[in-house]
Amino acid sequence: MASKRSGRNRRNFIKATGVGLLGGLAGCTRGGSDSEASLEDVDLPVDDYEEADIDWQQFEGSTIDIGAVQHPWVAAIEPAIPVFEELTGIDVRWNILPEQEFRTKRLTDISTGAGEWDVFFVDQVVNQFREAGWLQPLDSYFDDDSMYDEDWYAMDDLFEATRWQAHGGGYSDTWTGIPITVEVLTQFYRTDLYEEYGLEVAETLDEFVSNAQTIHENESDVVGTAGRGQKGYGMNIYILNSFIREHGGQLWDNYPTNSGLDAERAITAAEWYASLLQDYGPGGASSQTWSDVLSMMQSGNAGHIVSDANLFWPDLTDPEASDAADNIGIAKAPAPADGEFAPNSYAWQISTSKNADNSAEAFLFMLWASSEPTTTWMHLNNGAAFSVRQSVWENDEFRSRVGEDFAQVTLESLQATAPDPFDSQYPEWGQTYSEEIQTAIAGNQSVEEAMTNSATAAEDVAGE
Amino acid sequence: MSTQTQSTNSEPSALVRLRDLWNAYLPYWFMTPMVLVMLLITVFPGIYDLYLSLVKYKLTDPTAIGQFNGLENFQTAFTSGGAVNSFTITILFVVGALAFETGLGFLLAALVTGVKSDRMKTFYRIAFILPMAVAPVSLATISRIMLNSEVGVIPYMITQYTPFVAPNFLSDLPLLTVILVDTWNWTPFMFIIFYAGMSSVPDTLLEAARVDGAPLWRRYVHVIIPYMKPVLFVAILIRLIDLFRTFGLVFSLTSGGPGTETELVSINIFQTGFTFVDLGAASAIAVVYLIGIVALCNILIIKIGFEGVWE
Repeated sequence: MASKRSGRNRRNFIKATGVGLLGGLAGCTRGGSDSEASLEDVDLPVDDYEEADIDWQQFEGSTIDIGAVQHPWVAAIEPAIPVFEELTGIDVRWNILPEQEFRTKRLTDISTGAGEWDVFFVDQVVNQFREAGWLQPLDSYFDDDSMYDEDWYAMDDLFEATRWQAHGGGYSDTWTGIPITVEVLTQFYRTDLYEEYGLEVAETLDEFVSNAQTIHENESDVVGTAGRGQKGYGMNIYILNSFIREHGGQLWDNYPTNSGLDAERAITAAEWYASLLQDYGPGGASSQTWSDVLSMMQSGNAGHIVSDANLFWPDLTDPEASDAADNIGIAKAPAPADGEFAPNSYAWQISTSKNADNSAEAFLFMLWASSEPTTTWMHLNNGAAFSVRQSVWENDEFRSRVGEDFAQVTLESLQATAPDPFDSQYPEWGQTYSEEIQTAIAGNQSVEEAMTNSATAAEDVAGE
Repeated sequence: MSTQTQSTNSEPSALVRLRDLWNAYLPYWFMTPMVLVMLLITVFPGIYDLYLSLVKYKLTDPTAIGQFNGLENFQTAFTSGGAVNSFTITILFVVGALAFETGLGFLLAALVTGVKSDRMKTFYRIAFILPMAVAPVSLATISRIMLNSEVGVIPYMITQYTPFVAPNFLSDLPLLTVILVDTWNWTPFMFIIFYAGMSSVPDTLLEAARVDGAPLWRRYVHVIIPYMKPVLFVAILIRLIDLFRTFGLVFSLTSGGPGTETELVSINIFQTGFTFVDLGAASAIAVVYLIGIVALCNILIIKIGFEGVWE
């Protein structure tokens, strides 16, 4: 049921959404993008890379094509590209696309063997692509002394979870790419409402429900919480999977015969999430995407975000974009009282395909882009806040820029994260799983029925 | 000499024959380039689609790609693939949207035709065709905000100014909601065609009906609508085909959800092809869909078109 909202809040919501929408649309581009920065404009010395025992110039004169999603990582690294070009003599060409178009083009480019892109973004489909034989394993490059310097690269500085994801999330022993960005589930809440009602930051799921209930029942214009209800393997189930793990469950008790989705602990977690959104979420919670969730919090219409990407922080605390900017608190995602804190995390990696003409050159680019000097420079000078390197989150200058709370919560969450083990069929059965959960959140079937159907679908697909 | 004469006579006669041949088949020569283009862009993809529907083409199983597997793709799509559900939803969507758009388009055309002031007519024409200029994806995004149960202007107005409580549009009434949003987007198309058709009804016919004492509704039933039959038919046919191809608006608005409640065939094909990477099954659905739409349109053209409109 829709509640009666004040005109101010509605206007604020539309304003906040409009800013985001226009920003997004303004960033849309179909074609390639060439960096206009010159080497002189970039305060990133080439010398930092020459310390490495790597033959950077071995592919001088060649060109690599990069297929990328419109992502802040691209904007943050583009100004530094002249440094890479100077260092290696390799030219870089970009092909930047909106996410949906990128996924479609990536699939056709890589699966048909066209090999147009030497480097491209990969996420949950990594095992689907790897098992199909499309990805070029990077191990031979790591073993090549002229291409990789273990001491200089500082591999251990990369969060373990992101390295694990770049090894196919436990399904492969080989490198499928190199992680470049990571985001982790965190909790956002309204500090002013917490103060007003004397609430403590929730560490457990029960405390979170209680806080959401207090705000929902006492505020006429603010709902207790907001969370992703929309279907899609990056939507509702992306959040729910964390709560399944925290309840002691997991995806695939035994692959491919037992998905674990119809286990009691998984059903308990799903019931918790569905009830939370139904009781204290907005009307129509089943159709909420992550952008709706962000907009509701920005407009001041939600008391909490149950758990979503830590990357919401800049949008929520920017006074230009958020009416609640001065009253946003950040905390680690809640866990059951007897469960284990295990937030989900999501990493983009860059990979190269078996059909790419310049995979070795691509590897040098991946190494350069994810190295400590480049990553630190992007995060100190170019507004980035998604580092896969622990040292960045511990860097005082960076922590001062992004805020101590954000940096510390993110660091602790990334150290404890247990990302989804995306098997090769995840996009397929995950779609059905998310549809079933969406139907349950909409109240059109029981959660138990949804999870049982999801388990059957997952086991059928994986067993094919 | 005689040989020379024969040669002189045969040269112009060959040219004449060529010219006669050209003239005799003139319409066909003019059509040839278009026929070739149509073959290239419709028949070839259609045949290739049929081929894909009969072979294994799951991208993640490259070793099996191209193996003939009979009707297995059809079986996959129509048993576990949810194609039956998507066909049902598509028919409901097309019938609902077509009914709303045709009815509303006709009503608006009639109202604007009845306006006396030319200036106001121009104003209404411009105002009514504006929604058609909005791109479906933008419209879907705007609609999501306007229909938001907590902060959307539409639920707010319903709850504030009517005795009713606004429903959660995208959760409780998803199919009706996408039909209404499509109606908002495409009624202008029907309006503009109907308005043109209505404007072309000869004044003499209307005047005669008026002199005979026919009330307004009789003039519509016996004069205006029969006169507009070709226009009505063509507009409905074009919109019908277009509705069957709807994708962007619904994909952006609901992604086919909640669950699969708004999963049109086009979305099902996209999902089967690009999420499940099973191009064989996706092609099987597309083949059935193509045959169904072509058959339906031909039945309409043959049964209504030639008998009721063109003659």
